[in-house]
Amino acid sequence: MLSLWLGAFDQGLAYASLALGTYLTLRLLNFADLTVDGSFALGGGTAAVLISQGVPIPLALLAALVFGSLAGLVTALIHTRLGVNDLFSGILTTTGLYTITLRLMGRSNIPLTDITPVVQFPDLGQGDDGRWAIALTLVVLGLIGLISLFMATDFGLALRAIGNNPTMARANAIPQGLGICVGVAAANAMVALAGALVTMYQGFADVTMGIGSLILGLGMVIIGESVLRPRSVPMALLAAVIGAVLFRLLIAIALQLGLEPVDLKLTTAVLLLLAMSLGRIRLPGVSNPAGGRP
Amino acid sequence: MSLVVEGLCWGHAVPGGGRRELFRNFDFQSRRGEFTVVIGSNGSGKSTFLNLLAGTLRCDSGSIRLNDQPLQKLPDHRRARRIGRVMQNPLEGTCPGLTIAENLRLAEGRRRSTIGWQGLRGIHPNQADRRRYRDLLEQLGLPLADRLDSLVGLLSGGQRQTISLVMASLGNPELLLLDEHTAALDPKAEAMVMALTDRLVEQLGCTTLMVTHSLSQALRHGDRLVMLHDGQQVGGWDAAQRQQLTTEALQEMYGAVRVSTTP
Repeated sequence: MLSLWLGAFDQGLAYASLALGTYLTLRLLNFADLTVDGSFALGGGTAAVLISQGVPIPLALLAALVFGSLAGLVTALIHTRLGVNDLFSGILTTTGLYTITLRLMGRSNIPLTDITPVVQFPDLGQGDDGRWAIALTLVVLGLIGLISLFMATDFGLALRAIGNNPTMARANAIPQGLGICVGVAAANAMVALAGALVTMYQGFADVTMGIGSLILGLGMVIIGESVLRPRSVPMALLAAVIGAVLFRLLIAIALQLGLEPVDLKLTTAVLLLLAMSLGRIRLPGVSNPAGGRP
Repeated sequence: MSLVVEGLCWGHAVPGGGRRELFRNFDFQSRRGEFTVVIGSNGSGKSTFLNLLAGTLRCDSGSIRLNDQPLQKLPDHRRARRIGRVMQNPLEGTCPGLTIAENLRLAEGRRRSTIGWQGLRGIHPNQADRRRYRDLLEQLGLPLADRLDSLVGLLSGGQRQTISLVMASLGNPELLLLDEHTAALDPKAEAMVMALTDRLVEQLGCTTLMVTHSLSQALRHGDRLVMLHDGQQVGGWDAAQRQQLTTEALQEMYGAVRVSTTP
């Protein structure tokens, strides 16, 4: 039983960098980036191909990060250089990425049977689930620390200004095109990392694994925000991670209640709809009259 | 001369087809440190002129030189480094989701390459930055010095415009553009913002252009008054000549140019 909850916790953490990437584009940069669906599968596919050929795990993760950032860069360049709307830029890239990921993988599904860990973590008495929990917690905490530090620099402040008020950013000499390129590339690198981690955790990569990733990431961000109501960037990042874990726990509960795996997509959609409605539904004496966000 | 505009042409498409040439060979000059107030009826080209100077709009032909360097070929962000700007809408000039200190830091960094390695040096705004901003706001007599960590979105319109004005003055601007920056404010906030404007312009000593619809402001502020109509300068008064003007006389001129230039 504990193993089930620990498994859900692990999955949440594996998905956490998807939530962090979505938070970066959608919340900080105010950029609706559909590349996420493609870069998640690209990250998973890259990791699966490399690990199955005996490449060390850190290198495989690094490759996923680089490929993901390239995917994001393509979308950002289509948007900033050609003036294509952000949504369409992402759809274009993600459509092309399906073929690229499939070509890279050589087939639609790659199983990973023997993953040799680089570092052997303590198992918390729970076997592999315990080791995963420790390793993923370290990765996610490292990511939160790095992004928080970055966002506290002038560079990060400039990216936040682009998302917050483009007119003001322009008047204050911030090169918006460059900022969007860096931000969207970094966000997609994180999403691809999530794809790679999920692939390693579940033991296979599938070319369709990215479908619905953006909405999944958004749902995780919203669930986290409803729970934590963050007022600073580090807290918002923590909220995104908590949202990811809570989301996977809710899915685990749904499975415990007897739901079939085939019903998961519908369950996901309903859960996300509920999460998104949280800010709109007013419960007298319970809801914040000022709205869902501070 | 600090600002020299020569042969400026700019037009735009009009609904239903055709084109309206607003500026045709427009010339304008301003001395270094001169504070010029620009008035004119709606559609006369006042705000468009500021947008052409700031680079928000690109001129069709002509040249704009600021302190002997051509402006119009510079990319937006390089041009913006040299220009401080306050918009009409208090919501536009600041980032509501960032704190006062963060907004000031962004403006102060206008001359730096924030998106690059230079932008990764250290955590900002830090304690030293905060101290500097607190001193600056106190020295300007603004009651916001103890609210540096408040979100700008929580401030009133007047307070936001005050912050916007202080931001425009940071980063050593060579040109200050004020586009009807008191139009959305109540009389008390307007008086406060205009007092701050005079003070900052005097302290900075940079060339300033202020567009306004307020004739009383036009008669009380700045070193020179210019009236635009249909993309042409139809009146110009220096400080001494302006002494003879009254708001009634200016209102009559508004009517007169409208009648004389309407086909």
